[in-house]
Amino acid sequence: MDSPADGDGEGGWSALMAAAQDGDRRAYERLLREIVPFLRGVARRRLRGEADVEDAVQDTLLTIHQIRHTYDPSRPIRPWLGAIAERRALDRVRSVSRRAGREEELTDLHHETLQGSSTNEGERRLQARDVRAAVADLPPAQRRAIELLKLQGLSLAEASVRTGQSVTSLKVATHRAVLALRRRIGGDERT
Amino acid sequence: MRTEDLVGSLSADLAPVKRLRPPMVRAAGWLVLSVLVIGAVVTVKGFRPDLEARLVEPWEVAQLAAALATGVLAAIAAFHLALPDRSDSWALLPLPGFALWVASLGWGCVADFIRLGPDGIALGTSWSCLGFILALSLPLGGAMLFALRHAGPIRPVPTAAIGVLSMAMLASVGLSLVHHLDAAVMILVWHAGAVLVAVALSTGLSRPGFRIARRLSTAAA
Repeated sequence: MDSPADGDGEGGWSALMAAAQDGDRRAYERLLREIVPFLRGVARRRLRGEADVEDAVQDTLLTIHQIRHTYDPSRPIRPWLGAIAERRALDRVRSVSRRAGREEELTDLHHETLQGSSTNEGERRLQARDVRAAVADLPPAQRRAIELLKLQGLSLAEASVRTGQSVTSLKVATHRAVLALRRRIGGDERT
Repeated sequence: MRTEDLVGSLSADLAPVKRLRPPMVRAAGWLVLSVLVIGAVVTVKGFRPDLEARLVEPWEVAQLAAALATGVLAAIAAFHLALPDRSDSWALLPLPGFALWVASLGWGCVADFIRLGPDGIALGTSWSCLGFILALSLPLGGAMLFALRHAGPIRPVPTAAIGVLSMAMLASVGLSLVHHLDAAVMILVWHAGAVLVAVALSTGLSRPGFRIARRLSTAAA
């Protein structure tokens, strides 16, 4: 049902992953740097926006990290990497289409306001309501990360213990949540 | 976070991991464990008194063999499906055995009808059959899915469905050695029904189930 190992021929990615499974950090870093263009290629077949492609690549890297013990060095590594990249790209496609269904373009009318703090009180309240609504609309992992790290003020280590997610996953989830909130509330102010 | 920073962060986080053994070896180990558990339950409950007479009837033996083959092949399929670089078509492996089992039960219903008339397909209730199969297959299936938790980010639904199908079919074989159910229609409804309920539950719960399993293993690490 599966083809036999044919050697990956990609600068020894397979050997680098085998070394990484044994704990070799330099081999792992080199492997991840070398495979990023390949992962981008897989993601670009499914996604258009470069920001979404990059998100899919980062999700793929996180999944690779999580399940690196499932790679068998006697088998070619490209199908293993490609399958993971494909899954994460499809997830991102679904998330993009969900987002497209929820959002509408901001016009100048949305930015109209009045001068003076008291006259803007109502608008500030509306904005606070929008922020709460936007946080509630985030994917569960991002919402949890924002709630724990930004609203409850936990440290990354505490939030990691609370959620069972790694510190890296939490950092990525928070970063994405902030970007999503900016996109939703303040227009496209990506950093 | 930029991708380059993530690469640096993941490399800094790196800890050695133990590679998974080949899927056939893991499936075999799992099958031995589940046969031991189901065998122990069957032994405690006691074999049905007419078992010997049943096991000389080719039709009955073929039915049991189809159920057993489905259980074994589904376990093998689940351990392959859980790996990213294996084909989705592993999910098809247990389906011919399952179709044969259901078809044999359907044919049994026809035979009972010809032999006994409408009484032969009268449907009674046997909640104990449903309970036996669910009580065995859900905990065993849950434990199996814990062992397959790396499937969560890859193929959660097919892996959970086929894994629990395996346990439910083995439980059904165990039940056939214990319980008096003569009418094929009863086996079709209560055994196959229980198997489908177990598979439906595991399909619905696969994503949160795998998430919980990963959290438990992270917390334990």
